[in-house]
Amino acid sequence: MQAGPISNLIAELSKLPGIGRRTAQRLAFHILRAEEGEALALADAIREVKEKVGLCEICFNLAEGPRCLICEDTRRDRSLICVVEEPADVIPIERTGEFGGVYHVLGGALSPIDGIDPEDLRITELLERVNGDVTEVVLATNHTTTGEATALHISEGLRDRVTVTRLASGLPVGADLEHTDEVTLGKALSGRRSLS
Amino acid sequence: MRVGGVEPCGFRNLADSATELSDGITVFHGPNGAGKTNLLEAIYFGLVAHSCRGGRAGDMIRHGEDSGRVELNLEGAPGRVLLSSLDRGGERRHLLDGRPLSSALERPLVSVFLPERLQLVKGPPAHRRAHLDRLIAALWPARGDLHQRFGRALAQRNALVARVRGGHASSASLGAWDEELARAAEPLVKAREQAVEMLRAPFAGLAERLGVGSAEISYRSRVAADASAFAAELAERRTGDLGRGYTGHGPQLDEVALEREGRSLRRFGSQGQQRAALLALLLAERQALIDLGRPPPLMLLDDVMSELDAERRGLLCAALSDSGQALLTATDADQVPVRERAIAVANGRSTTLAVAA
Repeated sequence: MQAGPISNLIAELSKLPGIGRRTAQRLAFHILRAEEGEALALADAIREVKEKVGLCEICFNLAEGPRCLICEDTRRDRSLICVVEEPADVIPIERTGEFGGVYHVLGGALSPIDGIDPEDLRITELLERVNGDVTEVVLATNHTTTGEATALHISEGLRDRVTVTRLASGLPVGADLEHTDEVTLGKALSGRRSLS
Repeated sequence: MRVGGVEPCGFRNLADSATELSDGITVFHGPNGAGKTNLLEAIYFGLVAHSCRGGRAGDMIRHGEDSGRVELNLEGAPGRVLLSSLDRGGERRHLLDGRPLSSALERPLVSVFLPERLQLVKGPPAHRRAHLDRLIAALWPARGDLHQRFGRALAQRNALVARVRGGHASSASLGAWDEELARAAEPLVKAREQAVEMLRAPFAGLAERLGVGSAEISYRSRVAADASAFAAELAERRTGDLGRGYTGHGPQLDEVALEREGRSLRRFGSQGQQRAALLALLLAERQALIDLGRPPPLMLLDDVMSELDAERRGLLCAALSDSGQALLTATDADQVPVRERAIAVANGRSTTLAVAA
């Protein structure tokens, strides 16, 4: 048995996703052994993120202050909105460097089984955002049952107001056909395109 | 890919010993209670990691043991040894050369005839739909997730309908769920129609020759073939759905009809006709797989010969011996006129091989 503060730390760390009891124990002892400055920097970072980071008032992405960096950036194309389920989904799209528009983070996907209805997501806010200046809404919700239904619900709400597009599904770039599962490959086949 | 051998351990009344299997037809013969059906079940469990007989899974573990397992030796496969195990705590493992199976395509397909499987002919439509959906996954692996996708959409729509009915949610998103359900239904219905179309001629021919008479398999979905038309049907029936609290229209209610002279085999067939129709169905599925250039499934047929006359026994053997593997049980080896190998089973042990106690 460990002393109270240590077992507290282990218990808190093991609540994190992907961290089991053993890993939590390793992390706790690492923090104990670390220099005081290093360990307190971690504590401060956690405190700071909870105190300073909120949601952007426009797109509901994570923001330090009222607006996120993307909404603040005057170079971004405001006529193009990419709709995602979670703030974490913004990161991979940003990494592509291919998207110059702005985002709208729904905060989840419709799932009646879990009691998640349109009112629980930022859908009304999206419909209000789509005014005369917006020309295209890209629906980048996940390709799951709940993500698809969410996309259908939003596209119904935006009908005849703006161009609505959906991300394509198919083969990952650089993937071997040999190691691709049958369902993904089947979808890629049915969505094939002419080369000429 | 074929099963070259089976070795149960702590499984029902079977001795912990290996039995070698060959191509073509193998007969397990012996008196009642010798363990012939248990041996078939062991092979099925080895392949699928579930029982083919229903009942409590723990019953497969031999009395007094903590766990049971079956090892299959696969030939012509990337992996060599397929192991399934089950312990009394309910934990299952299904490993190919020590790593978990990632897809059913990594193991041989299997088709099984047992008295319990008569439910496929005489039970409610849900059995036939589920069976057909599994056949779709075997025929066209890329479509293997269609019924799961449909099931997820249906569960979500049902949850929403129930919550709207109870006053816990608005019906604002119901249109989106109608459309998602319809989009999931369209390819599923199409695949079911195609699969039944492939079964139609071989089923009718085999049923005739096995003595069922003029029999037919058919599937006609109650829903419009086109997704947007089905979504419109759902919208029309919305009041009814909200009244009852679940989705009352869709391919989840479709019937795969098995008929003899225009009358339902389920309701009007004799036990003998139902057994023969089941056999014809399993053989027709095997034929459909072969027609698509896919390997035929391993056929596990428990006591099929006892009710067939000599001519039909010969016919069944002829249908099975063209390719693939078939394992049949019989009280007497001579009930199976064409066979590659006959293995006598007594006291849970195959006696053609010398095995240490």
